[in-house]
Amino acid sequence: MTTQNQKLKMALTSTPMILIYVIAVFCIVVSIRQPAFLSPATAINIGRAGIFTMCFAICEMVVIISGGIDVSFPAVGCVAMYVPLYLNYHGMLPDNVFAFFGLAMFIGLIFGILNGILVSYLKLPPLIATLATSSIASGGLILALGTREFTTLPPSLEALYRVNLVTYTDAATGFTYPLTILFLVPVALCVVMALVMHFTMLGRGLYAIGGDANAARIAGFNVRLLQFFAYIFCGVAAGATAMIYTTLMHSSTTTALMGDEMIIIAACVVGGCRLTGGHGNVGGTILGVLLITLVQTNLNMLGIPTSWQTFAVGLVLLLGAILTSIQAKRQTKLGKI
Amino acid sequence: MKNFKRIFALGAAVMMTATLFAGCGPSNSNDGGNSGDDNQGDGDGATYKIAVVPKMTNIGWFQRMEEGVKAYNADNGTDYLYGGSTEGADQASYVEGLLAEDWDAICVVPFDSQSLAPVLQKAKEAGVVVITHEAASMDPQYFDYDIEAFVNADYGTNFAKQLVELTNGEGTYIQFVGDLNSVSHNEWCDAADAYFAENSNMVKLGRYETGDQTTSSYNQTKELLTAHPEINAIEGSASTDVAGAAQAVSELGLSGQVAIVGTSMTTICGNYIEDGTIASFSVWDPAEAGKAMIELAIAVLDARAAGGELDVASTSLAAVGYESLTAGEGTPTVLYGNARVDVTKDNMANYNF
Repeated sequence: MTTQNQKLKMALTSTPMILIYVIAVFCIVVSIRQPAFLSPATAINIGRAGIFTMCFAICEMVVIISGGIDVSFPAVGCVAMYVPLYLNYHGMLPDNVFAFFGLAMFIGLIFGILNGILVSYLKLPPLIATLATSSIASGGLILALGTREFTTLPPSLEALYRVNLVTYTDAATGFTYPLTILFLVPVALCVVMALVMHFTMLGRGLYAIGGDANAARIAGFNVRLLQFFAYIFCGVAAGATAMIYTTLMHSSTTTALMGDEMIIIAACVVGGCRLTGGHGNVGGTILGVLLITLVQTNLNMLGIPTSWQTFAVGLVLLLGAILTSIQAKRQTKLGKI
Repeated sequence: MKNFKRIFALGAAVMMTATLFAGCGPSNSNDGGNSGDDNQGDGDGATYKIAVVPKMTNIGWFQRMEEGVKAYNADNGTDYLYGGSTEGADQASYVEGLLAEDWDAICVVPFDSQSLAPVLQKAKEAGVVVITHEAASMDPQYFDYDIEAFVNADYGTNFAKQLVELTNGEGTYIQFVGDLNSVSHNEWCDAADAYFAENSNMVKLGRYETGDQTTSSYNQTKELLTAHPEINAIEGSASTDVAGAAQAVSELGLSGQVAIVGTSMTTICGNYIEDGTIASFSVWDPAEAGKAMIELAIAVLDARAAGGELDVASTSLAAVGYESLTAGEGTPTVLYGNARVDVTKDNMANYNF
């Protein structure tokens, strides 16, 4: 009986549940302040706004679980969104969705391999290694191709932008809220990665090397290969995400994504990933991203003055991080009993 | 593994060498300036040695300025130098490198006024005329004259005027600024507020910060319109503000119902001008600003050669929008032109930057 009670208590106070409480409270507060919040339009707005954050967070989550960190994905993403449009503009790349996404992912792959070499072969600290990759990527891009803004999409990407999953029309205002088909990308990514992380040797290996690389090696995991995989996955997925960004925002510049790394890492940490590696999962990361996206895109609805918004985002991040860290401590304590 | 390390070391060495060569960039450009020196004497009497240094050279804005300086050189048979730091960060050392030569005037668009100030001080002490642009907030002791495209308040008032016209002076407006601490963005918006209050019944919902991110103005526009469907006018300040707002408005099916004006560039929001979501955006032409800096430098040098100082009231620069100048009230060495350009469907082809 006591164990059952304890189990229930554990479930109700687990990290994901706590995040769900925080998200629920936030939603209730916003909808009291602003009844317009309670509408399918809000769901579509948040779904749309969270696409990039979600994809990047999954990339980062895999690297963090493997015991590393990647701060290069915004710069790599910029290269991946800029080069294909630049080549197309100069007639060197056919106007084809697969060509754009293929090249973007290939560029991500190259930088992923570079990160993989730096971290797994040369044993550089991941933060420094990926910081270097980031500078090389963004500096090299500007040196090689200069800076321009591409704001007119090639016809194939424009056609992709116009494909919507659903369009909700608000009865009262007549406003239309389209949800792009590209929303399926983060959904698919989450499902696939949840399965991979949970049920495959690859996924379990990533947890193992993140928890204790030495023990993992003795247990027979190929640490180097697994680290390589983490960075390559991150690079490729970041490349694709960057092309999604270009498609949805009609913008390809050399700096569009720069500075996004910290908020993405924060989303992972709030979602239960530990920077020391070995901990975290897709479900928690989704909740972390949801919380951050909710806060980022609804402070105006909440009526928080702009001058307070950065402060408010910081506060919510701190709250999330504290809650998950308390949680981690509790779990270790329980484990000892 | 050993081989691998060797390859890596080789790669690192190649990169370092490349960096070294890149470091030679400024001195190479100085040679370009020297050739200008050779031309001194021929031409029409007083040819000065003038350098124009942009904030950075790698963005479209300053490539447009370069076109302006080149066009000026071609039209006037001069050979003024245009060059600077690629990304801006080492602008101060670039200018310091220039000072090894004997310049009559240096025109600079400061990247970081703090690190540039001592270098400009040195230039002034050496008798070089220092002209700046977009540096009105800098301590005036570091330049001889600063030239601005327009008075910020006039520029902001124009946005309000346009919005009042588009909405017949009724409704609710919002403003975007790149940064709540940006002096110019807030001066534009404050002036617009004053005009709205005096000349319309329009109500302001708020002023929001976008961090110069298209995604931010896009998401905030959707959020604000969802919560406040009565919004019918949007004023943008950072160049990406109107682009994000226009995309949101167009997705919501509100093109033509919500008026959008603001500062931007053709390369950023040209497609929304074409489809009519943005009625007009405003900008100043960096090509003309480049010409104006050169013209001002020549005017100052001419005046000093004649033993006097520049008479602002009678100065007319051969650059569009700078034909007459007004001196700043607080600091008389800050000069304002009237170089705002309202870009619409009709004249967009002329401002393709």
